[in-house]
Amino acid sequence: MGRYIIRRLLQAVLTLFLALFLLHYLTTLSIQINGNPAYAFFGAQITPTPAQLQTVSELYHTDHPCLTQPGNPCFGNFFDTMKRYAEGDFGKDLRFRPVTELVAERVPNTLRIFAVSTTVWALAGIGLGMVAAMRREKFMDYFIRLGTIVFGAVPIFLVVLGLKYVAGVWFGGWLRENLGEENALSIIFLPSFDDQHPWLTILVPGVALSVIGAAGIARLMRTSMLENLRADFVRTAKAKGLKPGRVMLAHTLRNSLIPVITLIGLSFGGALGGAVITEGLWNVRGVGQLVFNAVRQNDTPIVIAVVTMLVITFLLFSLLVDLLYAVLDPRIRYE
Amino acid sequence: MAVAKVQTKSNVLTDLDLNRPLLEVEDLRVEFHTRDGVAKAVNGASFSVERGETLAIVGESGCGKSVTSQAIMGILETPPARIAEGRVLFHGIDLLKLPKDTRRRTRANHVAMVFQDALSALNPVWTVGYQLAELFRQHRGMSKKDAMARSLELLDLVKIPAAKQRILEYPHQFSGGMRQRVMIAMALALDPDLLIADEPTTALDVTVQAQIMRLLKDIQVERHMGLILITHDLGVVADVADKISVMYAGRIVEQAEVHEIFARPAHPYTKALLKSIPRLDTKGQRLEIIKGLPPALTNIPPGCAFAPRCTYAQDVCRSQVPPLSTVAADRASACHFSSEVIQDV
Repeated sequence: MGRYIIRRLLQAVLTLFLALFLLHYLTTLSIQINGNPAYAFFGAQITPTPAQLQTVSELYHTDHPCLTQPGNPCFGNFFDTMKRYAEGDFGKDLRFRPVTELVAERVPNTLRIFAVSTTVWALAGIGLGMVAAMRREKFMDYFIRLGTIVFGAVPIFLVVLGLKYVAGVWFGGWLRENLGEENALSIIFLPSFDDQHPWLTILVPGVALSVIGAAGIARLMRTSMLENLRADFVRTAKAKGLKPGRVMLAHTLRNSLIPVITLIGLSFGGALGGAVITEGLWNVRGVGQLVFNAVRQNDTPIVIAVVTMLVITFLLFSLLVDLLYAVLDPRIRYE
Repeated sequence: MAVAKVQTKSNVLTDLDLNRPLLEVEDLRVEFHTRDGVAKAVNGASFSVERGETLAIVGESGCGKSVTSQAIMGILETPPARIAEGRVLFHGIDLLKLPKDTRRRTRANHVAMVFQDALSALNPVWTVGYQLAELFRQHRGMSKKDAMARSLELLDLVKIPAAKQRILEYPHQFSGGMRQRVMIAMALALDPDLLIADEPTTALDVTVQAQIMRLLKDIQVERHMGLILITHDLGVVADVADKISVMYAGRIVEQAEVHEIFARPAHPYTKALLKSIPRLDTKGQRLEIIKGLPPALTNIPPGCAFAPRCTYAQDVCRSQVPPLSTVAADRASACHFSSEVIQDV
């Protein structure tokens, strides 16, 4: 187990390094082809003097001569950037605020939406998959499978917009009319995020975001359960005279979770992307919305810094999933 | 002696009639409802086992021997399986009529089972110790520590070397023979009265097969248990079984003491089976095979199911099912011509 953890950690460091370099190289290439992003600081109307441009370029670290040579990987810049990241300096946005501060004030809301959606998709996905497997070829099975196909196929922005209209405007409006504005239910079904009620108003967009993961997990869980329900060791567990619930939990569910854990890791990546859209459309003041708006305003420093942070988060999460995988499946610990 | 043992154990079943055999299976019929129709896996099997006795049920794949054992255990998936008829009497108590929860608790406590392929029959995600201790924890409510101590004793009983270390290992870290020992330990955990071993040595090397058979036999003698050995290999059971029941297409076709069967088979199928065992003294000759295949269980022919493959078959065999009837002292055969078969060496 110890050796597996060390190996996996070394792998994670290498992946992180490669991912960050790829990000750096794409940014560099984009600057080399599209020109100095410092121009964006001045806007379309103003033509800066060379001295002004130079000052701004220095601030955003886009002044290196290699940035004018298309194809040059700019290794020097890369190591400077890494050094700044290591010191916790992720640069500043176009209004000169440190990106770390902008992110820090938005992290709580993003954590909230992730807490809600992760709980919902893990529980709903695993639960629905289990029910479908246990009621195989019966009505509930077909119903759940149809649901997973529909929700798995619809793009996230449609789900969010649909839910915003149905739950926020239509149903929420009816609630506010009948129960009053201050009723907790009325607040839950507000069509957009409200800073005054960060937990209540995050529930609906959290559920919307969870749809991405839940559909896939439910389907995988169903297949995995069906396979394990037929397994010889389940028969052994029954022959041991264990209670049906015990056979289900300790000898079927636990084994069925192994492949699902892998998918949870992948879905997390999808959810990070989905959070950008969901937060943007629901006006949640979170990290996703920060990127959403930055992309629309061409605020490159924010986009790059936040994407870098997301990459790091994703890699850490994958690492966690792989370690969990080793805990769940002893055969995976390559000794 | 048997009386004392039954009373000292924490038993699920009370009111056992100890004058009756340990297990009597009477006219057991099991059907599977499939897309191709009703598959009759067991068609009226009857046999009995006493304490301290070893019964071998022998037959080809698909003859219903595993289904019979699972029906006795009560672990058939119903549906698709359905026990259409019959009784499974445990010291006179019909297991098939017990309430569900009582029935569940008879497993491992009274009747336990060893499965064929221990690698797939053990759960890969739990340690061997956990899977053993689970029995004591769930059935006896023992603490984790006590349950592990008992599990360790069991691993010693089945002669697993360095049991103290191995108890914390996972099934995939064990060799085939050692895994089968773990399976046996698991079946013995709650001191059952009857042990059913379904092809316990089929997945093992020949040298290991003999060791496992010996182990099973020794423990059976020591604990005075009933033992049902399910196998397709007559050779494996020759020196451990007391009685043999030969099964074909879901029926018992011959029943006899082990030596009788080998010396004078009373059913053409048994005879054919014996001829198909490779022997040293017939080296160089072509091995005899039984022509044709067993009937599809969805479409068992009328009359004797073995008739299409039988060299003794006459018209009567294709229309009338031969009953399992006594042909000599302590032996029965389900053949219209058993007296001819038995004399015809």
